[in-house]
Amino acid sequence: MKRLLSIISIVTILAMLLSACATPTPQVVEKVVEKVVEKPVEKIVEKEKIVEKPVEKVVEKVITPTAVPPKAQDTFIFGAQGEPVCLDPAIITDGISGRIINQVFEGLVKFDKDTTNVVPALAEKWTTSADGKVWTFNLHKGVKFHDGADFNADAVVKNFDYWKNTKNPTHDAQIKAGQTFEYFELQFGGFDGDSIITDVKAVDPATVQITLKEPQGPFLNNLAMFVFVFWSPTALEKAGVNSCKTPIGTGPYKFVEWKANEQVTLTAFADYWDKPNAAKMKNIVIRNIPNNSSRLLALSAGEIHGMEGMEPRDVAAVKGNPKFKLILRPANTTGYVAFNYKVKEFTDPKVRQAFAQAINKAPIVTSFYGGTGAPTNQFQPPALWGYNKDIKDWAYDAAAAKKLLADAGYPNGISKVTFDGKETPLEFWYMPVSRPYYPNPKDIATALAADWAKAGINVTLQTIDWATYLDKRKNGQLPLYMLGWTGDNGDPDNFLCYFFCLDAKDTPKPTEGFFADKEISDVLKKAAVLVKQEERAPLYRQAEQLIHDKVTRIFIANNQPPLAFAANVDGYIPNPTGTEYFNTVVVK
Amino acid sequence: MLSYIVKRVLGVIPVLLCVSILVFGFLRLIPGDPALIMLGERATQENINRVREQLGLNKPLYEQYLTFLGNALRGDLGRSVLRQEPVTQEVLRRFPATIELALAAMLVALVIGIPAGVISAVRRGSVFDAGSMLIALTGVSMPIFWLGLMLIYFFSVTLHVLPTGGRLTAGTQFTPITNLLVLDTLLRGDIPLFFQTLRHLALPALALGTIPMAIIARMTRSSMLEVLSQDYIRTAHAKGLKESLVVTRHALRNAWLPIITVVGLQVGRLLSGAILTETVFSWPGIGRWLVDAIYARDYPIVQGVTLFIALIFVGVNVSVDILYALVDPRIRFE
Repeated sequence: MKRLLSIISIVTILAMLLSACATPTPQVVEKVVEKVVEKPVEKIVEKEKIVEKPVEKVVEKVITPTAVPPKAQDTFIFGAQGEPVCLDPAIITDGISGRIINQVFEGLVKFDKDTTNVVPALAEKWTTSADGKVWTFNLHKGVKFHDGADFNADAVVKNFDYWKNTKNPTHDAQIKAGQTFEYFELQFGGFDGDSIITDVKAVDPATVQITLKEPQGPFLNNLAMFVFVFWSPTALEKAGVNSCKTPIGTGPYKFVEWKANEQVTLTAFADYWDKPNAAKMKNIVIRNIPNNSSRLLALSAGEIHGMEGMEPRDVAAVKGNPKFKLILRPANTTGYVAFNYKVKEFTDPKVRQAFAQAINKAPIVTSFYGGTGAPTNQFQPPALWGYNKDIKDWAYDAAAAKKLLADAGYPNGISKVTFDGKETPLEFWYMPVSRPYYPNPKDIATALAADWAKAGINVTLQTIDWATYLDKRKNGQLPLYMLGWTGDNGDPDNFLCYFFCLDAKDTPKPTEGFFADKEISDVLKKAAVLVKQEERAPLYRQAEQLIHDKVTRIFIANNQPPLAFAANVDGYIPNPTGTEYFNTVVVK
Repeated sequence: MLSYIVKRVLGVIPVLLCVSILVFGFLRLIPGDPALIMLGERATQENINRVREQLGLNKPLYEQYLTFLGNALRGDLGRSVLRQEPVTQEVLRRFPATIELALAAMLVALVIGIPAGVISAVRRGSVFDAGSMLIALTGVSMPIFWLGLMLIYFFSVTLHVLPTGGRLTAGTQFTPITNLLVLDTLLRGDIPLFFQTLRHLALPALALGTIPMAIIARMTRSSMLEVLSQDYIRTAHAKGLKESLVVTRHALRNAWLPIITVVGLQVGRLLSGAILTETVFSWPGIGRWLVDAIYARDYPIVQGVTLFIALIFVGVNVSVDILYALVDPRIRFE
C-alpha cells in the first residue's frame, strides 16, 4: 500500500509541476537566440615562424520567454488542414501552399474582396487593343521586393519568361527536378510557341506590354490567379530548384520560416508599397493540424485564431457559440452526378431526365451539408457572372421519372445496364474522400440511391481509394459517378469549357464519360475568345441552358466552405477562389 | 555469448530483405499512379508520361527494385515524389520526434504498468486489484483516436492546463540540436522551454502509452502470480523475510522474463500507434508523414519509412533477445 501511495504522490507532483508551468492560452513565447561569432586570427611572427591561432568567441544573447506572454494581438495563428507542397507559386496548384503565397507575393491584378471581379494589384491600370490581343499594363512605382530589389517591368518580363520559356535555365532545372508549371500550361495553352502569350516586353520601367496570339476571354481572370505572382528575379535565380523553401515577393508579409509538418511563419514587411493595405498584424503563423476535430479543439482552447476544414456536423455548434465566428466562403464549387455515355441506356435523354427527376435535392442538401450548401441546377455557382438565374430545374417527381423510363422502354425500371457492350449491374460510384462540393459523399450517395429506388432505378454503391477513383474516372471506367469542380480563376470558361469544349476533331473525351455535344462546344468556344464581359455573359447563360436541357449531368449542390474564427478576429474576407489576404485581419 | 549475438544480428538481414521486397511489391499492387496524384485532377497525358519517366516508373519493376535496393544499401532512400526532399535525411530529421513520443509513452507505460501489476498480484482479489485490472481492460480496448480527442477536450479545452497539440507553442523560435526537444531545451539551458516541451508531450504520451501500460500491467500481474505461488516464495516467507523483500528480490526478479518480452513487443505497437497519435496531436513525426505519403502514393517515402521502421523493430527485438540471454543464462547456453 505504501508503494501505491508513493506512486500516487509522484504522479500528483508531476501533474502539479506540469500545470504549474501552465500559462493562459493563447500564448506566444518568443525566444531569440543571437549568436555573434567572432573569429579573429592572431598572427604572431616569431623569428620567421608563423603561428596561426584562431580564437573563437561565442557571444550568446538569450532573451528567454517572459512570464507574461507577449500581447496576443501581435500574431494571427491559422489552423490549416495539411502541409504546403511548395512555396514557389509558379509550380503549385494546392490551396494550402496558395494561402501562404497570397500573403507573400503579388501579381498584376487580383480578385476584389469576396468576388471574382478583377481589380488592380501591382498594375495601376491597363488598356486593351481593339482586337483584344495587346494588353498594356502600367505598373505602380516604388514597389520593393522583400530582398530589397526594385519591382519593375523587367521583373515582370523575367517572371513570364520563367513560366513560359522551357529554355529559361530555372524553368528547365525545375522540370528536370520533377516539377511542372501546370497552371501556366492550363490557363495559357502551353509553353514556348504553344502558349497563347506570344510576347511580353518592357516598354519602359513602369510599362509592360503582353501580346496574345488570339484574344483570350478569361485573360484578366487568369492573371488574377494566385499562381501568376512575381518573384524577385534575383532571388529566384539564386534559389533555383530550391525555390519551394525561400519565397520572396512584394506582398505585405514576408516569409520567415517553414518547419516541416508544424508551421509556417510570416512577418510584416516594413517596406510594403501600399501603406493603407499594409499588414495589420506583426506575425502570421500557419499551423498544420491535419485532424479536423483536433483543429476545432485547438480553436476552442484558444491556441489558434482561425481555421478551415470543419466537419459539417460541427458547423451548427460553431454557429451557435458566442466564442466563435462562422464565415462562409462564397460558393465556387459544384457537386454533380456524371453519366458515362458508353452506357447504352444513358444515351437516351429520357433516361437521363428520369434520373434527374427522381432526385429530391433539397432534403439531401439540408441533411448533409451542415447548413452551408444550396441545391443547384447548373454548373456555375451563383457568384459567377455567367450564372443563368432563369433555368428551371427538373421538378422532383418519382412518378414522372417512372413514366419516362417506361416511355424509354424500361417499364420495370433499371437495375442492369449495358456498359461498353457488356451487361452489368448498374454501379453508382461515390468518392471515398470528403471534398468541398460533397462533404459526406457516402451519405449523399446513399440518399441519391434511395431516391432513385423510388423511381425503379436500383444502383449498387461502389467506391475505391481516391487515387484509383480519379484514375478510373480519367479513363472513362465509371458508369455513373459523383464528382465536382472547384473553380480556379472565377471565370465561367473555367467551369464550362474545360469539360464541354471539344478538340479540333470533336472527339469525345473519356475524362467526363465520353460526352460530346457540338452545339454546346461551339457556344463556349465563341465566348472564350471575346474580351468584353457583357458580350460573353449571354453566351455562357445560353450554354448553361443547353447543358441543362440535354441533361448532360445532374448538378446537385453548391457549397460554401465554412471557416471558423475566434470571436475577437476581425477583417477576414473570404474569396470564392480561396485567394484570401491576411493583411486586413486583426486579432483584438 | 558473442556467437549468440552475432547469430542474432545476422538473422536480421533476410528479414529486412523480405520487408523491402514486400513493401516494394505491395505498393505497386495498390492501384493509383503517383504521377496522376502529383499532377491532380487537371493532369494532361503528356505531363503524366514525363513525370513517370522522371520518377523511373516507366522502367521494368525488377530494375526499379534493384535500383532502390542498391541505393538503400548506400543509405540513399531516394527523393520524395511530391516535395523532392531526400528521404534519408527527412527520415532522420523527423524520427527524433517519434522517438521522443514513443519513449515518453513507454515511460508512462512502465512507471504505471509495472507497479500496478505487482501490487495487483500481491494484493490479489483486493479492491486495488479489481480496480486496476478493470482500468487495464478499458485501456486495452480504447481506440487511441478517441482517447486522444477526449484527453484534448478534458485537459486543453475544459481545464486549459495542457496544449492541444504540436511540440512547441505556435510562434516559438527554437533551433533544435538533436531534434529531441526535451533534450535540446536542456542542452540549451532553457528551463521554461523544457517545461513547455514536457507539457506538449504529456497528452500524446498518455494517449499512446495507455494500451502498452494496460498490457504490461496485466502481464506483470499474471507473471507475478505464477511466481508467487512457487515453493521458494513460501520458503522465503517461512524464513521470516520482509514482504517487500520477498516481492522485489525473490518474486519480481523471476517474473521479469515474460515482462521483458511483452515490453519489447510493445515497441511495434508504439510505432504503429504513433501514426494515429501523431495525427490527433499534430505531432511532426514519421508516422504522420507515412500516412500522408501513402495517400499521395509517394513511393520513396513509404518504402523508406517502412524499411526504417522495420529496422528499428527488428533491432529492438534482437536487443530483447540479447537482454533475455543476459537475464536467463539457460538461453545463451542452448
